[in-house]
Amino acid sequence: MSARDSILATLRRNSPPPADHPLPEPAVLGEADASPERFSASLLQMGGTMLDRQQGATLDQAIALRFPKPGLMIRSLVPEATGTVRIADLPTPQAAEPVDVTIVRAAFGIAETGSIFLSEAQLHLNAIAHLTQHMVVLLDPAQITANMHTAYLRPEFHTARYGVLMSGPSATADIQGVLIRGAQGVRSLTVCFAPE
Amino acid sequence: MGMKIGLFVPCYIDAFYPGVGIATLELLERLGQDVTYPTEQTCCGQPMTNAGCVSDSAAAEALFVKLFSGFDAIVMPSGSCTHHVRSHFDAIEQTDAVRHVRANTYELVEFLHDVLKVRDFPWAEFPHTVGLHNSCSSLRALRTASMSELGEPAFSKPMTLLSGVKGIRFATPARPDECCGFGGTFSVTEEAVSARMGLDKVRDHFHAGAEYIVSADSSCMMHQQGCAERNRVDIRFIHIAEILNGARQ
Amino acid sequence: MKEKPVNHAAAAVAFIADKPHLDFHDARLWDMRQKRDAQMHLLPEWQDLRSRASAIKEHALANLADYLEEFERNAKSNGIHVHWAADGADHNRIVGEILEARGAKTLIKSKSMVTEECDLRPYLAARGVTVTETDLGERIQQLDDQLPSHIVVPSVHKLTSDVARIFARSYGTDPNADDPHQLAEAQRLAARPVILHADAGMTGGNFFVAETGTFVVCTNEGNADLSATVPGVHIATIGIERVVPRMADLGVFIRLLSRSALGSPITQYTSHFRGPQDGSEMHVVLVDNGRSARLGMADFWTSLKCIRCGACMNTCPVYRRSGGLSYGAVYSGPIGAIIDPTFNERKYSTLPYASTMNGSCTNVCPVKINIHEQLYKWRQVLVEHHQMPFVKREIMHMAGKLMGQPKLYRAAINGTETALSTLPRFALYNWLNPWGKNRELPAPVKETFHSWYRRNRPTAGRATPETVKTETKA
Ligand code: SF4
Repeated sequence: MSARDSILATLRRNSPPPADHPLPEPAVLGEADASPERFSASLLQMGGTMLDRQQGATLDQAIALRFPKPGLMIRSLVPEATGTVRIADLPTPQAAEPVDVTIVRAAFGIAETGSIFLSEAQLHLNAIAHLTQHMVVLLDPAQITANMHTAYLRPEFHTARYGVLMSGPSATADIQGVLIRGAQGVRSLTVCFAPE
Repeated sequence: MGMKIGLFVPCYIDAFYPGVGIATLELLERLGQDVTYPTEQTCCGQPMTNAGCVSDSAAAEALFVKLFSGFDAIVMPSGSCTHHVRSHFDAIEQTDAVRHVRANTYELVEFLHDVLKVRDFPWAEFPHTVGLHNSCSSLRALRTASMSELGEPAFSKPMTLLSGVKGIRFATPARPDECCGFGGTFSVTEEAVSARMGLDKVRDHFHAGAEYIVSADSSCMMHQQGCAERNRVDIRFIHIAEILNGARQ
Repeated sequence: MKEKPVNHAAAAVAFIADKPHLDFHDARLWDMRQKRDAQMHLLPEWQDLRSRASAIKEHALANLADYLEEFERNAKSNGIHVHWAADGADHNRIVGEILEARGAKTLIKSKSMVTEECDLRPYLAARGVTVTETDLGERIQQLDDQLPSHIVVPSVHKLTSDVARIFARSYGTDPNADDPHQLAEAQRLAARPVILHADAGMTGGNFFVAETGTFVVCTNEGNADLSATVPGVHIATIGIERVVPRMADLGVFIRLLSRSALGSPITQYTSHFRGPQDGSEMHVVLVDNGRSARLGMADFWTSLKCIRCGACMNTCPVYRRSGGLSYGAVYSGPIGAIIDPTFNERKYSTLPYASTMNGSCTNVCPVKINIHEQLYKWRQVLVEHHQMPFVKREIMHMAGKLMGQPKLYRAAINGTETALSTLPRFALYNWLNPWGKNRELPAPVKETFHSWYRRNRPTAGRATPETVKTETKA
């Protein structure tokens, strides 16, 4: 018998009575507030930032203010910003590694946790979301969902092959409990509300 | 006339803290109860069962039932023994007598709080700052107080009773629910961890300003007192029955 | 089977003797527990979430074979290769074959307790594959050649100075570095080139979803997503018990996991893998390794509900004061003490006794595993299976007999006669001796309660009330 079949046979033999353990109906619990304010507050708690956008300033100008260091490699995956490198020049993770700032649009956000959802539909090359040093994420406030229960009702979870909820920048507290933002993935994550 | 009460005094109280047994007896009598201490009693069987040796508890459990099944209620100044009788009395056949004993055994605080519903102890005065230690059996098995892990509304039966004592003040330790490390045979098989937990516990109360640690469980206090004395932590110990019975110190 | 039982108590003595490490370890884990409490207080639905998580898991386990087949069907149709490993050896062979078929010589890996269970790294090393752990804590443990001491924070028993020493040896950094930021940066810089040029990547999986064929990885550092997305091959090792039926069930678990573990509302990364990216390969290895047998253990099967949040370890006063390594097993703390004996009953026979059974673990467990009751049950099983040391077993036996005989018992308490003479005295005293090592004994008293009672209530208590006559089967 294959490992597969023998595992399945043992499980069937050893299973507690299924009738004693019914599956509860899916539930939507918790706070239903899906406001941008709640989202921002949660994002800040997770170590993310909201992009400061002066009246009338373009997205490129706001990003330049956020990342003032000259000569940065900025790659835009959105029509609202131009960036400094062309996507076509970065076809592999190895080529994309030097990128400093990546601008991308999230499919949706979650107010409870300040998370944004990215998939191959937004990223084209999934690794870019983790190799880039910093990330700027555009989020349509109309695409904020209240909490994790409502989030999992979104269709993206049934279509994306890779879907990541990023909640602030990468982080670690593995050395003597000291919280460090910017561990191995992005060093910062900045969200900008931008209706689509 | 009160109930016919059988008093169980655990072995370590009998041998090391007779004052706790006396206070329990006198307090119940003061409250109008008809209390008898069956003198042939030994042990509830807990040490053997907790070690996993269930069959070795059978003789103790059988004797316990023989001595106590004729009472309306069985009261003991010990949370862990109460928990054993109520939840783990499984080494013997479950006769009507066994079921009666299991259903009518109370830890002293529960009995005062839930059955007799006493709130005032006009004879008692204790003008000291005390830190309350709930044993894990009292806290998490008997549920005599709210448990910090669950976020449930705060309540504390021992605190409610003690609040009926004149002059008493409470210290609030930083980790009120943390186990003190006694754990029965754990105290010898895991001596180092046990003693360290005990020391941390008494220091926590001491730093919170407690002059006394008060508890409904003498076993925890026996261990804590041993740790305090060895490490010269200046704190005293008293059983809740003694305070409620009007002990002055 | 003749392996020596783990000596948790002795390892704990050494751990406690090192005060700076002990103090930090206790404070750090207690802080995680406090942060967990704070998150709980923010969610009025916390207990409802726990009940649902428990019910969903119990349902999934009671129908595990069906859900595994459903997952396999869906994952395959999304282009994922699904493999089945009966045990650790099977798992390692499967991973080795995947790598060999692609000529892969370097593997980057994020944290996975199942691969620790299977002891994957030495297996691959012997076949010429260089394995690099990319999680910071796990990397520290790999470089120090130690098991993870905690399932969420693998190097929590170490101080910054320990990490500086290890990194100096392996990365050439300053051995006196005392800034954790500097050390974390050293790890980032060291890991990047390895990640960029690795032949294959490996992750664990926190959950997998039968309905969609998705698996979910929850992490904070970003290393798991790098390991998964940069190389063209992604292998995920997952225990078969981690299945949930529906995508909608994930909300319950994601809300509980990081709040219970670290006291943060969610991990920085919650990554859902439903199929390979274009031009890449994705493999899932479903690992049994004793789980299907555990499902048949009436008292212990619910331990399979575990989502490995570590909350039971953080709250455990014994774990905090003995350190994860003292358990001598892949899984430590309360959850380790109830699952390790299923891997090797003799070797881990001591672990269910490394507990006061205080019950705090059960209260914090997000999936409501009755951990302390299982510890209690394990003790009975171990005694039945003759895994208790002889002296202790004899003492319990003698004590049990004594407690059934009021006259002998009274004589022993009064010390007038040595009722314990049938028991070798040295055994008893040796066994009880440790009490006095760090503790005083209670002061002797003039009179027991028993004799006080006989003096002060001379007419009472001699006979039992007549009302009930009891039969016993003692
Ligand atoms: S047993 Fe419960 S508390 Fe412990 S790691 Fe597993 S899920 Fe978390």
